[in-house]
Amino acid sequence: MFEEASEVLENMLKWSLPLSLVLFLVLLRAEAAHEFSVYRMQQYDLQGQTYGSRNAILNTEARTVEAEVLSRRCVMMRLADFSYEKYQKALQQSAGAVVIILPQNMSTMPQDIVQQFMELEPELLATETIVPVYFALEDEELLSIYTQTQISSSSQGSSSAAEVLLHTATANGFQMVTSGAQSKAVSDWAITSLEGRLTGAGEDLPTIVLVAHYDSFGVAPWLSYGADSNGSGVAILLELARLFSRLYSYKRSHAGRYNLLFFLSGGGKFNYQGTKRWLEDNLDHTDSSLLQDNVAFVLCLDTLGNSDNLYLHVSKPPKEGSPQHILLKELETVVAHQHPELKFSMVHKKINLADDTLAWEHERFGIRRLPAFTLSHLESHRSPARHSIMDKRSVSSSLEGAGEATAGPHVDLTKLSRNTKVIAETLARVIYNLTEKGVSGDLEIFTEQMQVQEDQLASLLDWLTAQPRAAQLLDKDSSIVHTLEYYLNHYLKDVKRHLVRADKRDPEFVFYDQLKQTMNAYRVKPAIFDLLLAFCIASYLGVLYLAIQNFGLLYSFLRRVTSPRVKQH
Amino acid sequence: MTLFHFGNCFSLAYFPYFIAYKCSGLSEYNAFWRCVQAGATYLFVQLCKMLFLATFFPTWEGGVGVYDFVGEFMKATVDMADLLGLHLVMSRNAGKGEYKIMVAAMGWATAELIMSRCIPLWVGARGIEFDWKYIQMSFDSNISLVHYIAMAAVVWMFTRYDLPKSFRLPVTILLGLCVYKGFLMELFVHVFLLGSWTALLVKAVLTGAISLCSLFLFVTLVHSN
Repeated sequence: MFEEASEVLENMLKWSLPLSLVLFLVLLRAEAAHEFSVYRMQQYDLQGQTYGSRNAILNTEARTVEAEVLSRRCVMMRLADFSYEKYQKALQQSAGAVVIILPQNMSTMPQDIVQQFMELEPELLATETIVPVYFALEDEELLSIYTQTQISSSSQGSSSAAEVLLHTATANGFQMVTSGAQSKAVSDWAITSLEGRLTGAGEDLPTIVLVAHYDSFGVAPWLSYGADSNGSGVAILLELARLFSRLYSYKRSHAGRYNLLFFLSGGGKFNYQGTKRWLEDNLDHTDSSLLQDNVAFVLCLDTLGNSDNLYLHVSKPPKEGSPQHILLKELETVVAHQHPELKFSMVHKKINLADDTLAWEHERFGIRRLPAFTLSHLESHRSPARHSIMDKRSVSSSLEGAGEATAGPHVDLTKLSRNTKVIAETLARVIYNLTEKGVSGDLEIFTEQMQVQEDQLASLLDWLTAQPRAAQLLDKDSSIVHTLEYYLNHYLKDVKRHLVRADKRDPEFVFYDQLKQTMNAYRVKPAIFDLLLAFCIASYLGVLYLAIQNFGLLYSFLRRVTSPRVKQH
Repeated sequence: MTLFHFGNCFSLAYFPYFIAYKCSGLSEYNAFWRCVQAGATYLFVQLCKMLFLATFFPTWEGGVGVYDFVGEFMKATVDMADLLGLHLVMSRNAGKGEYKIMVAAMGWATAELIMSRCIPLWVGARGIEFDWKYIQMSFDSNISLVHYIAMAAVVWMFTRYDLPKSFRLPVTILLGLCVYKGFLMELFVHVFLLGSWTALLVKAVLTGAISLCSLFLFVTLVHSN
């Protein structure tokens, strides 16, 4: 048969061989059981110190924590079952990777789990690890993959040989593969900051500086939306810019006797890099700038979207008679007369230069001997709400309606607008010197046409929290920076960009890429299964061979069945 | 081990053909070239069918879950061309009835195997992802072999001039069953919502029944003279 075959094939394949080669060489990728986006944990260097997970690529089998052998496997955990000990166990056994599955809607999680996770976030980042840690949002397929993996992981090493054999035939293993390369440092990343001003009436006026950092931070950069910290600060700053620009151009009130300088700083969560460089450039390198002349005080806005507390953080208690002291007094007046439900107090914390990072943004100004405060509803700079991925725009209103405490930090719009009003009233009283002129503390300036617009704040917040604002994701061409610049241009004069690039030889900050990847989960069977299948197929073919060899038996049987009838004809 | 899996599926699909070729004694008759000719006729017939379907049948615009019974029935009717093709092959081969049937069926089935199963197996069974459908595809090719042998036998019987009157009806019924077997299978799957393994089993049983009947008729015909 093979001689004939070769003859025939020779003729046929002379002209079809190239075609068939092409066909067989096209290696199409098989479809995966499930493809989903995964977000990697932070990876950055700050002032020479490395943080976060170092690695990015992955091609390993999936297991859950219950399995005994975790090394070189991808460990999957759900947020509901997450605990630091399990995470440590995975790391100690040098797992191939860790994937933490977060629910789509955080509001379904009970509050203690959210709190626990928020407290764990800085600890996860503090332990530098070579294991890539990923976060994924849960959907039905991912959940089914997880439950299947859990069943097979927990049943290992506990059953008899027959069960194991049956198990290999029926169960599914999963191979997790990420697309993408190993993570490397991003070179030449530019952090952008924006400034704009409103000039007062007169010459040689003192300046009030209003600052808010617009970036956010969380354990995974692509999941950090930063609603309260610091989306609320940015929203308040933009609303103040709008109100005071109206006030300054209003015919009946003239421009006040202070210059107003607004500054949106980038890289705030990375030790206020934007502010630091801006100060250096303005104070050391330029001949004249508003910052060099008379600065009355600097007010930094950080996390003001919730709660009935208000704290003014200072590094030095203000002296009597100084502009800072006036601000303090005006704040107390406004709160006492107009918003008695608000609890206001001053918190004094000295700048500690030995710490890795500075506490609040005003400390940057304090180092350069500019009087500064930070206004926040948080009492301590170490509060987990300042760097959490749980900081979302809002949680579902059903929980709020039921009167339960809502999980996670979020923004309460009424409280945000109330805080905006308090700050606006205070600043107006300072700028127009209202207490000296004898104006009572009950007089509200920002009402009717000039009132704080809640819809404006709401839409600003919705836009800010619609995309993640981690510093690694916002370069100078990003849409957020452009939109902020456009907004400031609408109300302020002399809007300028300010770029910060890390120093080449001794970088203050280094960012890494590969923060968002696509992970494929392939269904696989263990190797024994293939051998088992080969054995079954071999026996089937053997039976088939015997059947065909003995086909003659069937034939003669049928013949005997039919022939008696023929004989009867 | 995925190449191993491909090897498994490949052997499951191809070896029965190889065994059938060897054991049916076709190799003694130098029938390889004739089988290849039968295969070429298969290709030609499929091409004509495709052109016909593409030209004359409109695309189905209904919803996703609704099954177009009438449309699929009409499409299955076009499969009558298969019968014509088989008849063409068998008429060009001189020899005993069994020889003709076997040559035509082997060539036809092997061509179908190469054309419709080779590439899915190569691409799919070699990937990382495992799916039972490749094993099922290989089983299905075994069933097709039996089906085509039965179909060729029925076509041969239909065209015999010495076919007794009493056989006309059963042979016609079997012929119709052969042509519409695909359509019937889809109908079953759709109406009873069968799983893939159950569907395969039903297909095997159906093919087995058709082939037994045709074998019975064939034996009666051949040995009644």
